[in-house]
Amino acid sequence: MRALVRIIGGLIVLVIVILLGLMLMPMHRTAAVTNLPAGYEPPAGAGERVAIAADCAACHTAPGGKPFAGGRVVETPIGRIYASNITPDRKTGIGNYTLDDFRAALYDGLRRDGVHLYPAMPYPSYRKMTEEDVRALYGYFMNELAPVEASVPETRLAFPFNQRWGIRLWDWASLPPAGFRPYMRSAKLDRGAYLVEALAHCGSCHTPRNGLTFAEKGYESRSADFLTGGVIGAWPAPDLRARDSAAQRWSDEQLAALLASGRNETAGVSGEMALAVEHSLQHLPKSDMEAIVSYLKAIKQDRPIADASAPRSTPAPTAQQLASASPQLGLGARLYLDNCNACHFATGKGAKNVFPNLDGNAVVTAKQPGGLISLILNGDAIPSTSERPERLVMPGFGWRLNDDEVAALATFVRQSWSNAAPAVTTADVAKLRGAVNTTPW
Amino acid sequence: MSHAFLDGYKPLYFSTTEWAFIRAACARLIPSEGEGPGALEARVPVFIDTQMAGDFGKASDWYMLGPHEPGANPLLGFQSPLTPAQIYRQSIALVDEWCTEQKGKAFAELGPDLQDEVLRDLQARKMPLKAELRDFFVLLLQNTKEGYFADPIYGGNYRMAAWKYIGFPGARGAYLEWANDKGAPYPLGPVSISGDRG
Ligand code: HEC
Ligand code: HEC
Ligand code: HEC
Repeated sequence: MRALVRIIGGLIVLVIVILLGLMLMPMHRTAAVTNLPAGYEPPAGAGERVAIAADCAACHTAPGGKPFAGGRVVETPIGRIYASNITPDRKTGIGNYTLDDFRAALYDGLRRDGVHLYPAMPYPSYRKMTEEDVRALYGYFMNELAPVEASVPETRLAFPFNQRWGIRLWDWASLPPAGFRPYMRSAKLDRGAYLVEALAHCGSCHTPRNGLTFAEKGYESRSADFLTGGVIGAWPAPDLRARDSAAQRWSDEQLAALLASGRNETAGVSGEMALAVEHSLQHLPKSDMEAIVSYLKAIKQDRPIADASAPRSTPAPTAQQLASASPQLGLGARLYLDNCNACHFATGKGAKNVFPNLDGNAVVTAKQPGGLISLILNGDAIPSTSERPERLVMPGFGWRLNDDEVAALATFVRQSWSNAAPAVTTADVAKLRGAVNTTPW
Repeated sequence: MSHAFLDGYKPLYFSTTEWAFIRAACARLIPSEGEGPGALEARVPVFIDTQMAGDFGKASDWYMLGPHEPGANPLLGFQSPLTPAQIYRQSIALVDEWCTEQKGKAFAELGPDLQDEVLRDLQARKMPLKAELRDFFVLLLQNTKEGYFADPIYGGNYRMAAWKYIGFPGARGAYLEWANDKGAPYPLGPVSISGDRG
């Protein structure tokens, strides 16, 4: 008995010592992965190009706010996290950051004062940045941007997530090695890998996360899980590698068109992907876009799609049913005719380059139905891009359809033509109905 | 016929006597007897009242600064310095006055045949309405038709009754599959802007 008490007491002391160690031990900062010669100067314009490819503005610019002055809320599974002001303001921004401080933020997720950043800041991807790009980015933020004095609200998460030292455990368990080591067959593919895996952090949305720590299951194409489909908010970020995924089925030109202009013959970007295209991908040099497309095609996996239902072997006769306009049609079909048929048509195929195809659309057939539900409730828009200046809007229908109706309609769309995804429930819809306008005006 | 809803309705613009006039006039322009719903079943008076209380009644987006030539040739368009709501108000008072003088009762109290006579006189401009009020009957007839066929979101065409009657399928964006079916009736009931299904 005494022995047991002693053992337990000992264990408790040990745990406390370990915790104290965890909390107080100085952070490890990763050193530069390349020793650049003294007096190294990044090429002109390189910093801005990296900032665009890495889409720093996506999170660090608040809606309607000054560029990079922070304040945007990043919604995460553990709560709302405010992105920092990263203009070179000394008081409220990162004006006091040295190059090493800056690299530590990008590589190790460490703030200048040593506090751990939440991985809502995608440092697990940025960690692969080359030293050249870190330098270019640092020069851009310090010398090319004007300081903006703007305080950002403090992030306050619930216990235990407010114990930032705990992120250290997460970092140990999750972070890939720093820097990018070329590993593909050609320089072009390696450029694509670098863009996708490091700068554009496609994996932060498109890679599944493990259930325990929410860390991405892989950070590069040598991991079989990388880019096989993730979830961002309530949206599916589709599988990009399966042989029957859209990314692999489309021709190189069609894939490039979607990424660079926001749409192609059969699809348009929506949700967070629309923001990535609008703020970042459309601005990439053509050679970079070609590298991304070649890379994505090169990492194809010979397996069925992972995050969405397989199509029916024989398509349902939906188009004929809808065309009959019969009063016998079920509620879902009736709602489709009343609300969606005008643009997406009885075939579900929409109109080339304008209205996306719903038949076999990964957002429609995804295991995660939230993207489809959000589209129906709130609508969305393909952004205006330099190649395709016209912004194409899908109106929201939340104001005219109740939760039962949205569920019936979403279920219909998920089970029509060749789609064969599980039904959507009223509760699924209720969860996503936020502050939606109740009138169209 | 009972019109409990119209009885209980609190007009936004019209006074009690004006409301009685509008109900009676609409009921003659699109009567309840015979085929299809009448203006009262379709709640057309509610549509007109709502319009008078809103931008149309106030001529909010019309050019109203003059010069006004109310006596000008009607082909030159609306020339009155009065808004539609003012035209309704002043005209209803004059018509009721005229009916009381000539027929002994306000318009709403007259029998249907006499009401028809009065409306015909109005249409034929036989009633001594000043030039500023000349367009009253034109407005009344136009707004009654609009209330009958406009989307129910504007207060009339209750439950899409007028659409169902003529087989109009409503605010459903496209009928591509039916474009070549000349004359075939469209089987499905209508849908309204707010998504109601008929
Ligand atoms: C997906 C969203 C996202 C993107 C993209 C992003 N960040 Fe962040 N970043 C954040 C969030 C959120 C925080 C604050 C995290 C916290 O409080 O723990 C942050 C914090 C930072 C900080 C720490 C500043 C401080 O002192 O508070 C720096 C530096 C930073 N980001 C730089 C960048 C740069 C440079 C880029 C582009 C290469 C970038 N971020 C892209 C979300 C993002
Ligand atoms: C911020 C999250 C986010 C980032 C970063 C992101 N995506 Fe997406 N992506 C999405 C979402 C959500 C969708 C689904 C909506 C849609 O179809 O537009 C999507 C859709 C796509 C599609 C269409 C897939 C299909 O089956 O229809 C492709 C291709 C794609 N993304 C590629 C990329 C690539 C390549 C990158 C990096 C260069 C990237 N995405 C970065 C969230 C993201
Ligand atoms: C007025 C035309 C119009 C109507 C009506 C319409 N849509 Fe859309 N829809 C669009 C446009 C434009 C897009 C592209 C918008 C985007 O991607 O952000 C789109 C995109 C979509 C997408 C695909 C998003 C993606 O990333 O692949 C789905 C799913 C969708 N609509 C479903 C529906 C449903 C269900 C209805 C009926 C409630 C409907 N739409 C009604 C025009 C319309």
